[in-house]
Amino acid sequence: MGMLIWYRRLGLAEGVALPPGDYSTTPGGTLFGTTPGGTRIIYDRKFLMACRNSPVAKTPPCNLPDIPGVTSPSMDELQTETNLIPADDEKPGLGEEAQFDIDI
Amino acid sequence: MNNKFDATYSPPSHSHSPVSLKDDDSGDHDQNEENSTQKDGEKEKNDKDKPQSSIKRKAVVPGPAEHPLQYNYTFWYSRRTPGRPTSSQSYEQNIKQIGTFASVEQFWRFYSHMVRPGDLTGHSDFHLFKEGIKPMWEDDANKNGGKWIIRLRKGLASRCWENLILAMLGEQFMVGEEICGAVVSVRFQEDIISIWNKTASDQATTARIRDTLRRVLNLPPNTIMEYKTHTDSIKAWEEFHGLVNSSGR
Repeated sequence: MGMLIWYRRLGLAEGVALPPGDYSTTPGGTLFGTTPGGTRIIYDRKFLMACRNSPVAKTPPCNLPDIPGVTSPSMDELQTETNLIPADDEKPGLGEEAQFDIDI
Repeated sequence: MNNKFDATYSPPSHSHSPVSLKDDDSGDHDQNEENSTQKDGEKEKNDKDKPQSSIKRKAVVPGPAEHPLQYNYTFWYSRRTPGRPTSSQSYEQNIKQIGTFASVEQFWRFYSHMVRPGDLTGHSDFHLFKEGIKPMWEDDANKNGGKWIIRLRKGLASRCWENLILAMLGEQFMVGEEICGAVVSVRFQEDIISIWNKTASDQATTARIRDTLRRVLNLPPNTIMEYKTHTDSIKAWEEFHGLVNSSGR
């Protein structure tokens, strides 16, 4: 509690500088931030989204429960659909914010 | 809190269903500790091997070329039984463990084979909590905690949920061990996302979580965000449940 930990996303688009601390980046784009709280494994959204398309990520977990309308081990069309969602990173701001402007 | 809650409202053998909650209590799962039945989901698949949660508990680890996460997480799903009032049975049947993962790739394996929240029907919730933390107020990790709540008009839940959990899995909140999990609650007229942390009284932490939420969800400045302690949630539940109880449960 009250532990001071600094962080930023790797590859931050907003032009926010990295705070003090020791950072290193793996080839995969993973940021390991060494903070007063210890080293943590940090991934930004863009990197996580990129991992979505790796082959292993596309196979259903072996013991996925079959809950009708919620999960399906063979829900290929769902997978396809989600993979087709355009990456928000490409056009940040406008499109997203427009969807928030009415009310929340 | 746990004891008080149970002592006041629940015989030890009972679980409470969130169905008695109003929508603003979304994401709260006020059952008590007999949640071993939450393993139903995995039991269905695994009881040929082992009937209990040992399957999940035993070493979910990243695969060889996978990207490890800071923590393991477990997906849960719950759904209100239509037209059915609170009962321990209904709650126990309502919450299911979907599975636990340890890497980014394993996360996607689950996520890509689950419907998106916006496509859920009825009164449903997805929960994503650190492995070992039950999505309920009374869990040791939650009992002194609280949550940020953001109400979303229909149509936003899927993307907000995705952004929320990606931020959580990627350790974007930077509040040490404070994050417990996240919930998306699909309701009749709105959807609600929330993120739970351990220490409601830690204002530096809750402020940082709030700020991170604003950033990762791309929320406009006027978005209303409400922080609610689980203690208050329990009180609200108690009051509401008192009403329900008067007509019998």
